[in-house]
Amino acid sequence: MLFSLVGLHLRLLGKLRLLTGAKEFIKDYPAAEIARRALKGRDAIYPFGTLTEYGTAVLGSTVTLPRYPRFPSLDTTIILLPPAFTPKRLDKMVDLLREPTFEDVNLECELGGFKVAMPVVAGTMGSTAIASKTSIPIAKACAKMGIIYGIGENVATVRGYSKRLTRGHPCFKERLMTYLTNIDKYGGVIIQQSVEDAYDELWNKVYSDKDVEPYLDEGRIGFEIKIGQGAKPGLGGIIKIPREQIEKLKQKYLIEDTGKEKFVTRYSVPGTYTEDILRGMIRNMRTNYPRVRIWIKLGPFKDAMKVIKIAFEEGAHAVVIDGKEGGTAMAPCVAMQHLGYPTLVSLSFIRRARMLGIDNKLSLLPAGRLYDGSHVVKSLALGASGIYMGRPLVISALVKGEQGVVNYLESVKIETQMLISALGKYDVHEVEPDDVASLDLNIARALDIKWAFELAQQDI
Amino acid sequence: MPLHPAVRELESMVADKERYRKFLQEWLRYSWRWARDDKYKLVFRIQASILHAIREKLDSMGFVEVLPPIIGPVTDPGIRGAKQVTFDFYGHEYKVMSSAILYKQYMAASLEKIYFVSPNIRLEPLDSIYTGRHLVEFFQVDLEMYNATYHDAMKVAEELFCYVVKYVKDVHGRELEDKLKRSLPDFKPPFPRYTYKDAHKILCTELNCKFEYGTEIPWECEKVLSTHHDTPVFVTDYPRGARGFYDREDPTRPGILLDFDMLYPEGFGEAISGAEREYEPAKVIQRMRETGEDPNKYRWYLEMLKELYPLRTAGFGIGVERFTRYICGLRGVWESRPYPKVAGIAPTP
Repeated sequence: MLFSLVGLHLRLLGKLRLLTGAKEFIKDYPAAEIARRALKGRDAIYPFGTLTEYGTAVLGSTVTLPRYPRFPSLDTTIILLPPAFTPKRLDKMVDLLREPTFEDVNLECELGGFKVAMPVVAGTMGSTAIASKTSIPIAKACAKMGIIYGIGENVATVRGYSKRLTRGHPCFKERLMTYLTNIDKYGGVIIQQSVEDAYDELWNKVYSDKDVEPYLDEGRIGFEIKIGQGAKPGLGGIIKIPREQIEKLKQKYLIEDTGKEKFVTRYSVPGTYTEDILRGMIRNMRTNYPRVRIWIKLGPFKDAMKVIKIAFEEGAHAVVIDGKEGGTAMAPCVAMQHLGYPTLVSLSFIRRARMLGIDNKLSLLPAGRLYDGSHVVKSLALGASGIYMGRPLVISALVKGEQGVVNYLESVKIETQMLISALGKYDVHEVEPDDVASLDLNIARALDIKWAFELAQQDI
Repeated sequence: MPLHPAVRELESMVADKERYRKFLQEWLRYSWRWARDDKYKLVFRIQASILHAIREKLDSMGFVEVLPPIIGPVTDPGIRGAKQVTFDFYGHEYKVMSSAILYKQYMAASLEKIYFVSPNIRLEPLDSIYTGRHLVEFFQVDLEMYNATYHDAMKVAEELFCYVVKYVKDVHGRELEDKLKRSLPDFKPPFPRYTYKDAHKILCTELNCKFEYGTEIPWECEKVLSTHHDTPVFVTDYPRGARGFYDREDPTRPGILLDFDMLYPEGFGEAISGAEREYEPAKVIQRMRETGEDPNKYRWYLEMLKELYPLRTAGFGIGVERFTRYICGLRGVWESRPYPKVAGIAPTP
């Protein structure tokens, strides 16, 4: 009797726990904040809402946190340092013959071998249902906004290369061509190839595709070597697929079929790398695909510095380091909780690489819960070339389709311009480590930036 | 030797890409028309003589001609960005041979000195039409020797080359000069040999053709090197990374491969590619990963390497259409075979 009561109680607790997936995401991830941006666009940068309209609201910086954070982040420990004296603003004024505004801040730059309108990348999202469904509005919005667009692994294998394999899901080429046919002078597309995609020679297919040829010639195509991702570093892609697709995919993937459910779990292998393999792979790619930009996507790995060194020496165009906050549609809980380091540590690798002389020839990007203008500017100050994101775009697309993504990106753009102008600067290239400080002494030391409380220690 | 006029003509043709593409479309679409010209009748007859001479020479050297495979679960992945042709083989994915390299080792283990006259298909990238050297469907004479080094292979290559040129001159000398305006010198081995490192140094300094160390020698620089000599030249010891997984890495010089290319004179470009084969399974697996693939795909090959360990072989492949182009002094390989097919241009016969 007692045992069966305890059993019942535990079962109930387990069922309750089942509900927490969605709850935790909404509570923990700034989904509401991003949705607001998708709805309001540029206006979303102000905190006004229905109850706090302009004229009635009295506002200030938040000092409380809803919950105590597990680890430090750009939000909790890094601050931007606006100066009183702004000689660069004077330069800009001489240029423009008027007082400059934040809209005069130039965000155009080179990123990973592409010319972009702003240093934000729509990261490579894969074949999962949610990424798949939102991929077309995101492609259109990214093309319109002049930012780089990524296509993740397994899309061609699971959703089809040029013909749809699954109802309602765009195939690989739909994603690719939607983006490419909508770009103007900015942007480029980066394409991942998993071990399973390599079986089908995805990159070779793209490289000899007649429809892609003009864009190869223009230098708008990049291939991204995926060594790992933040949410499950060291593990391959995991998705659920409808049972009827098993037949087609069982030759290439590990499939876990309990025989009962409508969906089965499909695992993709992470792929084996050594320093030699990576070096050889980049060389091979440079020989085989001379017109393609080479990107490398890393999870929060302890030897990221070695990867950066090899990428730099072998002439790759970009390395992305995903922190453990990085998004995913499916990863084991223990992987998200315990594997790898947070995004701020990714940035410490980038900062250190720049100090060691890895110059702008190699773009370095952090990823993992980066979603607003402050994240862009702080990352740039720490040596990053731009930021790489996924979830904010998916959420924006869910809220309001293509326009939602445009709205969201507009809000990030205007925030970035405002913050850079507040630093007294008017070009994205001018942001430097002196523009940030840390509130935490240890982190300041680790990143070799100022500790906020030593700013006052100046002679007068 | 200066650039051959046909190579120069190709260069001026491709300068106007749109016009060249239109020309090629016509050329391929109606190939039966020019195939009946006296010039091309002779080209095809010379091609037959080239194949005859190759067989005669190789047979006399103790090689055995073996039937090549046409399809298999895997084929040569080291084909510089070209795509393989895949089809459904009773529920399994099979490929049409992009080269029979993996099977050469298989047969060298059996008969020791073997060769294939082997048909290959490579869906080349679309910009390959401008090189004059790339066909989607082509033949190569692919040979392999058991327990041999790449030096042995180079020796066979230069002897074979000299023999074929002499044979064609003996049989077709007069016609070659009258109808094709082609005169070929008497070649004598050995041909000059440059290591990749030396070639890089000479090209970047003396010959003023700069490129990054570790990358493939760009076509422009290959041309400079080939016009710098009166004979074919070998470039050996390429750095790792630019070649397929089967070129063996020198155990005493990490990062350097025991391989070679032979370049034709007069700017006709790459003739032959060869190497000693990597036979350490662990090394092969590691190198396979450089193309991002799962070695499981190559399971039969890896099992064979393990069972027949050490499967020490060396060999090379020589493209029949390229050889014909060189001997006849033609603008592109699309002139040196009937029913030619190049990247992206269809329909054709």
